[in-house]
Amino acid sequence: QAIDDDCNQTGQLLAAMLDWPQGTFASRVQLEDGAVRVEREVDGGLETLRLRLPAVLTADLRLNEPRYATLPNIMKAKKKPLEVIPGAELGVSGGSARLKVLQVQEPPARAGGEKVENVTELVEKLRHCGRI
Amino acid sequence: STGLTEDQKEFQKVALDFAAKEMAPYMAEWDEKEIFPVETMRKAAQLGFGGIYVKPDVGGSGLSRLDTSIIFEALSTGCVSTTAYMSIHNMCVWMIDTFGNEEQRRRFCPSLCSMEKFASYCLTEPGSGSDAASLLTSAQRKGDTYVLNGSKAFISGGGDTDVYVVMCRTGGPGPKGISCLVLEKGMPGLSFGKKEKKVGWNSQPTRAVIFEDCIVPVGNRLGAEGQGFSIAMQGLNGGRINIASCSLGAAHASVLLTQEHLTVRKQFGEPLANNQYLQFRLAEMATRLVAARLMVRNAARALQEGREDAAVLCSMAKLFATDECFGICNQALQMHGGYGYLKDYAVQQFVRDIRVHQILEGTNEVMRMIVARNLLQG
Repeated sequence: QAIDDDCNQTGQLLAAMLDWPQGTFASRVQLEDGAVRVEREVDGGLETLRLRLPAVLTADLRLNEPRYATLPNIMKAKKKPLEVIPGAELGVSGGSARLKVLQVQEPPARAGGEKVENVTELVEKLRHCGRI
Repeated sequence: STGLTEDQKEFQKVALDFAAKEMAPYMAEWDEKEIFPVETMRKAAQLGFGGIYVKPDVGGSGLSRLDTSIIFEALSTGCVSTTAYMSIHNMCVWMIDTFGNEEQRRRFCPSLCSMEKFASYCLTEPGSGSDAASLLTSAQRKGDTYVLNGSKAFISGGGDTDVYVVMCRTGGPGPKGISCLVLEKGMPGLSFGKKEKKVGWNSQPTRAVIFEDCIVPVGNRLGAEGQGFSIAMQGLNGGRINIASCSLGAAHASVLLTQEHLTVRKQFGEPLANNQYLQFRLAEMATRLVAARLMVRNAARALQEGREDAAVLCSMAKLFATDECFGICNQALQMHGGYGYLKDYAVQQFVRDIRVHQILEGTNEVMRMIVARNLLQG
């Protein structure tokens, strides 16, 4: 889930294209013989999968503690060359032209709630707006 | 972080992160149990904090005095005592880097920059503190060695460190008779006194260093005979900025702690933060902190640029910042009420730890002497 478009698709798409198993949102990774045990952060808590290698994994922020940058590296960072490679050189065509944004909208504004007097009224209201 | 370059902000970030994660959680324990946190300091050295303003060809980070000040201020928010020791270590490595010949630089600096070995600065003696130039430790030339006799007092790291930068008398009385020798633990005739019990700075041991017919090769002398006092004073210019920076970090942390306490603690039906007197005091603390910080950073720039007035500015900055910051930390303790007096709360440790900054590396009285002499000399 990249922080620019928040799509959460790249790892999954890659696994599908390669037809490899996938372990996304990995917060713990343990290599075994020919396989990998992945603990995933899911909405309900943690899920552990065992995937045959080769597999595609995507990392959750809980996977590791980032290293501290060292002072010499901070100074060298400015001088590192930033090489721009056009997609065509890597045999990739189209690129972002394959994605078309159809619509962007805010979530609907939160409407006010309603207070009910008792349970009977609550059930009636819920029936009325088709919730039950 | 106002007025800092992108790089400096990055250094500050690393140092603040390191302080918060690797130092702050342990500062109380290090103080109580008097632990010299060797592993933590070595971790810091891996990031480049072992020889911050030492040249890269011997393992240093090659940064400026201002970069150094920013870093020590940030590290101090995690533990003043440990950071202050690291600043003394840095000062010693710089002295060897700057005044040592190629062989000495290569022999000593790399392992000091990585903190595989630790260093101590030995100037003060039982009979000479402020009057440093009257030191008595003698170093008699005998062939290609010096034989040292005498003792040093209040040496930070003494007994636990490996390398000792010692100012001793090779010539006549006064500053011009003093030379600088590098000693190593294990040299015959080098021993240590008992570990002192201190009010603060407890994460670094303080001991007397004793020389009894201690034999040191002539090849361990930094610079020329008679140059020692000048080397010591030049080391201290930077040392004063570093110590002042440590005070800044403590004051900064204390202001933040106070800010939090004022919003959380309630009396008379309201958070303390609603009380105008306390608001005004907090504002004064913050104002004085910024003023002190500017003094220190200005002095750091002057020293870096080799300006004529650098030494005086360093003295002024040390005097001003250590005094102001002690006042700020002390005030912060007061504003914590009874809780400020408990060791469960960090603010008392900041107060205890920075109290000595007004005394060492040149008392604040000596700082006044330096400034006055400069003004009245014309």
